[in-house]
Amino acid sequence: MAKYLKKEKLKEIKRLGNEPLLLLTIVFIILFTSCFVIWPVVRLIALARPSEFLVLFTNSRWARSLANSLFMMVISTVSCTVTAFIFAYTITRLDVPLKRFFRFITLLPIVSPPFVVALSYILLFGVQGIITKGLFGLHVDVYGVFGLWVVQTVTFFPYAFSIIIGVMGKISTNLEYAAYNMGASRWQVFKDVFWPLCRPGVAGGVLMAAINVLTDFGNPIMIGGDLALLPTEAYMQIVGWYDMKTAAILASALMVPSFIIFILNRFWVGRRSYVTVTGKEISLTPFKPHFLVKWGLFTFCSIMSAFVLLVYGSLFIGAFTRAWGYDWSFTMANMGYVWEKFREVWNSIKYAALSSILASLLAMVLAYIVQKKSVGINKFLDFLAVLPSAVPGMFLGLGFVIAFNTPPLKLTGTGLIMVLALMFWNLPTCYSASIAGIQQIGESVEDAALNLGADSFQSFKDVILPLLRIPFLSGFVLSFLRSVTCLSVIIFIYSPRTTVGTASILGLVSNGLWGAAAAFTVVLISIAFSVLLLTNRFLRKHGGSLNL
Amino acid sequence: MYDSSKPFIEFKNVTKTFDSFKALDNITLTIPQGCFMTLLGPSGCGKTTLMRQLAGFSEPDSGDIYIKGIRVNGLPPYKRNTPLVFQEYALFPHMTVKENITYGLKLKNTDKESVGRRFDEMLKMFNLAGMEQRFPKQLSGGQQQRVAFARALIMGQEVLLLDEPLSNLDAKLRVEVRTELRQIQRKLGITTIYVTHDQDEALSMSDLIAVMRAGKIEQVGTPWQIYFKPENRFVADFVGTVNFMDVVISGLFEDRLLINWQGSAISMNRMDYVLNPGEEASLIVRPEYISLRPAANNESADQENSLRGEILFYSFLGRFIRYWIKVKNQTFIVDDSNPSLSGAIEGEVIIALDRNKLHLLRNSKS
Ligand SMILES: Nc1ncnc2c1ncn2[C@@H]1O[C@H](COP(=O)(O)OP(=O)(O)OP(=O)(O)O)[C@@H](O)[C@H]1O
Ligand SMILES: [Mg+2]
Repeated sequence: MAKYLKKEKLKEIKRLGNEPLLLLTIVFIILFTSCFVIWPVVRLIALARPSEFLVLFTNSRWARSLANSLFMMVISTVSCTVTAFIFAYTITRLDVPLKRFFRFITLLPIVSPPFVVALSYILLFGVQGIITKGLFGLHVDVYGVFGLWVVQTVTFFPYAFSIIIGVMGKISTNLEYAAYNMGASRWQVFKDVFWPLCRPGVAGGVLMAAINVLTDFGNPIMIGGDLALLPTEAYMQIVGWYDMKTAAILASALMVPSFIIFILNRFWVGRRSYVTVTGKEISLTPFKPHFLVKWGLFTFCSIMSAFVLLVYGSLFIGAFTRAWGYDWSFTMANMGYVWEKFREVWNSIKYAALSSILASLLAMVLAYIVQKKSVGINKFLDFLAVLPSAVPGMFLGLGFVIAFNTPPLKLTGTGLIMVLALMFWNLPTCYSASIAGIQQIGESVEDAALNLGADSFQSFKDVILPLLRIPFLSGFVLSFLRSVTCLSVIIFIYSPRTTVGTASILGLVSNGLWGAAAAFTVVLISIAFSVLLLTNRFLRKHGGSLNL
Repeated sequence: MYDSSKPFIEFKNVTKTFDSFKALDNITLTIPQGCFMTLLGPSGCGKTTLMRQLAGFSEPDSGDIYIKGIRVNGLPPYKRNTPLVFQEYALFPHMTVKENITYGLKLKNTDKESVGRRFDEMLKMFNLAGMEQRFPKQLSGGQQQRVAFARALIMGQEVLLLDEPLSNLDAKLRVEVRTELRQIQRKLGITTIYVTHDQDEALSMSDLIAVMRAGKIEQVGTPWQIYFKPENRFVADFVGTVNFMDVVISGLFEDRLLINWQGSAISMNRMDYVLNPGEEASLIVRPEYISLRPAANNESADQENSLRGEILFYSFLGRFIRYWIKVKNQTFIVDDSNPSLSGAIEGEVIIALDRNKLHLLRNSKS
């Protein structure tokens, strides 16, 4: 049987000889992706000899940061998932006010740089914080485990949320009614019907939160304080000691759990989530839960949302305040500062746009080949397209530094390296948008084109491409938002000439220039948000929607 | 009508397996030039799969496919010139009717003037005038279907493949379109393969029918052969309704056959059956070739091929009444195509089998 399968694949591969263009495209994609995903990863891992990885366990500092990273991952993942579940449940199942507002709250962190919450948390609770110092006159140390935990929960619960609500929203309430009809109590229905159907979504949410928390760099560097974590330690090794090898070892340690999560997500969650997609039957309005449950959950969402608003509010105020904590008078000086550094904002936009266009194009071609062509290696190409999501952003960046600082591909310091790194980092995002789009296209529409005499290239150009405009756009926009607000990927590869907004903010924060940092952040968020709004409006007019 | 000496499309020992499931099992089939060939079979028997091998959307595991004597295995779909009308039409949603229909010509760089001329011909043939600029979703199902036909036919190829093209239409339209389609096919003389699981469609349109089951071809023949001379029980049962009677051959004469069914003698035309006395066989009787009349109180069935039975129930279908009649220990289906105005017959009846329309199957074959 296995032998037979192989024969089939070989035959498909041989048939490619008839379509040189397709063959050429595939070869190019494989080489290109290998060069910019696999090669940097391999280079980074190969930097240290296998035996040298033992320092992760023998050196107490590294062992502690490994343990800390895993510990933070566990507690933050739990809190993110619980929060996300409550938000999703409230929005899909409860008849309470403010649901649109809650939904909006879950969007905010997605269009923001990864350290927004940390930055704002410092403004609120730090040494000069309005709440700690201003309101209560306290001097508390917000840096460390607790602060980071709160900040990561607020930052990453929306990621888990978007997956959980995707599954929860598709569960037909009819199923619950069927159970009530058979005499089940509210709790039994939740336990026996609703929860099992949600499980794939929750599992996906858990993994999504876990990977984000684990590889998070922006928040820990700002408020981690003395808490040693793998990403921040790796950064310190490079910035402080120029010790590439140790940094590579630390980053590689990150790669292991990250890869495990990737595999779990792909082969376990990915396969299961289909089970819950029920038919299109009209759902009844959800059964009313106990009023204590209802208002309890509502209160929880309200408090959480108020906190998120506070975060963004203080950031906004901070951007227009002369000296946070001392002099509250209004000023445009911070904005003026951003204006002076306009080149960096422009770099952010430029690299994000370029890398996103390239990533969407590559993703679309890949998705098309994987879905619509039998080329014998479809599974492999699919794997290649999603592989970058197994690589933490920071790891990818570090890999680029090592792989491309010598000829023949000496790219360090160029704009090209920024674009390429962001492009491959975004490939999986664009790829899933394209896959979703292609799956929408009728099974035989493309066969029809081939049947009428169009070769693969013509059918792609005349049929697939026009039908993929909307998925292309949404993939592009998602990728753009991610890139504008990205810190981890570029932190090691920017040069003075190619520096971008997020990198500058990190610099401003480490120099204690809170106002300018806040102003910079507000500008980046505004750009991201306007792009999001414009696209949403455009898509709604064309009958599509953005899937965040 | 068609020239049976000129094979146009040939399948030779074509086998296609999905994982370990044989969707096509050693199919050999020849379609003569100009022939309207129907592939008939239950859902999942491999009709679409066979079509897809011919159009080149997938490759058989083994076996050869010839078009006009040229082996096409390995040739990509766009080089095969086998226009196909898909079951779900597969119109390009982002192109207008005109763009859809002329897309194939555009690919062949046909000059503007002749594209226009051929397009106008199609508009006329399929009654689509005035809809040139509409998009598929602005058309009714029947109109979309005509666009799909036009898109395939405008190419002017010598072959046309149709995969259940009428299955999305309502019953009445289906009958209309199939007549029209058959006329167009005759006029253009295109070799056509038509896939369906509807026996009425198959019988009414085809020159030849290939009956398929589970990846195999059970019988190829004209509609008459398939209907009156099915070669096995499956074909008999799948095409039309049928009564099977387990009989024993009791006598072979010059002009007739005498057979015994549960102690009753039945006689039928001799034809050219190769049989031995004492051999067991299946007698195939279609419901419309059994006549019935109410039985008088103690009348016994003593005319030729008559049997006495009792009506179990009936169903009124307009053109005829279908009766279920118990004779001895078997239930017969009998169609009365001339129902009386006063209602259905009830109680005891005499049924008679038409000796000219009986068909025997040797048991070894079924
Ligand atoms: N790509 C595929 N992978 C696996 N199995 C397949 C595939 N295509 C078809 N089959 C299987 O092959 C068998 C024949 O399928 P096919 O589509 O040819 O049936 P069909 O005769 O056209 O039926 P219908 O009348 O319902 O259209 C089915 O059992 C189907 O499940
Ligand atoms: Mg079919």
